[in-house]
Amino acid sequence: MKILIIEDEKELSESIATYLKGENYICEIAADFNKAIEKTELYDYDCILLDITLPGGNGLEILRELKASNKMDGILIISAKNSLDDKVTGLTLGADDYLSKPFHLSELSARVAAIIRRKNFDGNDILKFENLSINTRAKTVLVNDKPLDLTRKEYELLLYFMSNKKRVISKNAIAEHLWGDDMQGNNDFIYTHIKNLRKKLIEAGGTDYIKSVYGMGYKFSS
Amino acid sequence: MKLLSKYNQVNVIATIIVLLLSAVAYYFVIERTLVHQLDKSLVVEEKEITDYIRENDLLPEPSDSKEEQELYTPAKDAKVIRKFSSVELYNTHHNKNVYYRQLEFPVIVQGKIYIADVRKSQEETEDLVQLILKITLAIVLLLLATLFIINRFVLNKLWQPFNTTLQQIKQFNVAGTNEVDLDSTNISEFAELNSAVTSMTKKASQDYHEIKSFTENASHEIQTPLAIIRSRLELLSQSENLNEEQMDAIQSISETTNRLSKLNQSLILLTKIDNRQFKQTEDVNVSLLLHRHLNNYEELFHAKEISITKNITEDVILNMNETLAEILIVNLLINAIKHNIEKGSLTIELNKDYLSIANTGKILNTNPAIYFERFKKESTSNDSMGLGLSIVKKICDTYDFEISYNYKDRIHTLTVNF
Repeated sequence: MKILIIEDEKELSESIATYLKGENYICEIAADFNKAIEKTELYDYDCILLDITLPGGNGLEILRELKASNKMDGILIISAKNSLDDKVTGLTLGADDYLSKPFHLSELSARVAAIIRRKNFDGNDILKFENLSINTRAKTVLVNDKPLDLTRKEYELLLYFMSNKKRVISKNAIAEHLWGDDMQGNNDFIYTHIKNLRKKLIEAGGTDYIKSVYGMGYKFSS
Repeated sequence: MKLLSKYNQVNVIATIIVLLLSAVAYYFVIERTLVHQLDKSLVVEEKEITDYIRENDLLPEPSDSKEEQELYTPAKDAKVIRKFSSVELYNTHHNKNVYYRQLEFPVIVQGKIYIADVRKSQEETEDLVQLILKITLAIVLLLLATLFIINRFVLNKLWQPFNTTLQQIKQFNVAGTNEVDLDSTNISEFAELNSAVTSMTKKASQDYHEIKSFTENASHEIQTPLAIIRSRLELLSQSENLNEEQMDAIQSISETTNRLSKLNQSLILLTKIDNRQFKQTEDVNVSLLLHRHLNNYEELFHAKEISITKNITEDVILNMNETLAEILIVNLLINAIKHNIEKGSLTIELNKDYLSIANTGKILNTNPAIYFERFKKESTSNDSMGLGLSIVKKICDTYDFEISYNYKDRIHTLTVNF
């Protein structure tokens, strides 16, 4: 899976690349408008992370170019301009998703994974981890080939973990993922949800993959 | 009071005073002149009488006509002084009291002293004065009528450019793209006003757009470093060999970064609402919006074992900005969840007149009014900067909704009246 990160802040693009490489993506970075145009014309990517304010031009222009040349690359806009106009314009122009800065890398990774899943029509809708299997189209979960009944949020939580395997995910990132920006700072809710999910997984004969990491959050690993 | 009425008031009062004063002046001047005339003719009469007496040594026949009286009475004492005076006497011809101008003078006939009285009626003078009063009154009335007509037809037309300008200023919106377009006028005051208004609105519009882009740029400039800090922290937290102290530090920096980010976003949102940047409105189905978000938070209610009572009228439509409607509802719900207690309750009521959200919670230590102000919070609850309710207030202000807070028997109720 190839990913292009169009972002002028070197520190940020490198962090993103490091994190995504851990998910076995191949990452390339374009730091300005011209470089980005050059790369998108030459290669195809599974997903492009697109910052809107770039030196040399507007990121939305790149989006227009891509759509004009019928490129199928998935596009995730990452912008600090939490401006409604940009968001609407971006999505109307054919971007797949919009994430405003500052975001959690785990959230970014989950969004990228979702875009790539949607773009792959050959249908790799099944995510597998050890004896766990998630069908992202039907939104069902199998543990040892037996269906597991989860609430909507529990399912979203499990999918989030599956998109960030072996990573420490902060409680804030989880809260924000499940309930949006405004629910931050109420981490006691997370605890209840994690507890329930764990209980269900164990009762279904699975392993307890969710590990608490002291002070910081949770980690999904075997 | 209209400028016109104010001006008219002064004008009319001044005119009436001047006219009355001049009427009084006329009265005195004309009366004096007429009396003077009468006195002259009385002196002529006197001369005639004295001439007659000198020639004939006889008193002339007393006469009594409509206009004139002559009569002679023997003097009681020898000292008779010649004098002019005005007297009011009964006139048999008119059957009423009439003012006379009279001249008394002594005459000596056959060695005896008589007082001769020659009188002339002042009737004419009075008629004249009355005429002057009538004319003055007529002029006052005519003047009022003229002023009325001028105001009605001329002044309204004269003020037309001003009214047009005023109308344009009222319709002016700094956030809008349309500039104030004023007709040219050949009246210098209005032309000056128009040019001042044009340059002022242009400046306001320009400033507004500069502030708007500044807000967005500021947001950009602050969010990007925050994004870098956050991503670096997340990468750092993936390290295998962190000790507890380091993990605590990472956690603490991460929390602070979150707060800073949230604070920045809230401030930008408040500024945007202040700047009326959410002016696009549409019919928003608030009921649907409320259902959707209640659904989203369903598991949070479960987690805290909060019992919910819903009394939601379907299809409540409000004409407002959809984003703001969503922010309003989310902030109210989150406020009710965050400050709720374990095994608490939440009652939501929505109809076309109001939305009320009542939740159980801790007793407040502070005056509820300050909850709508920026940066006020119940310190023990959590680390949110307490901007949620001021955003709610700001949105309510934008649409003239009335928000009120009530606390009774451990139930906090926030009501938004549409």
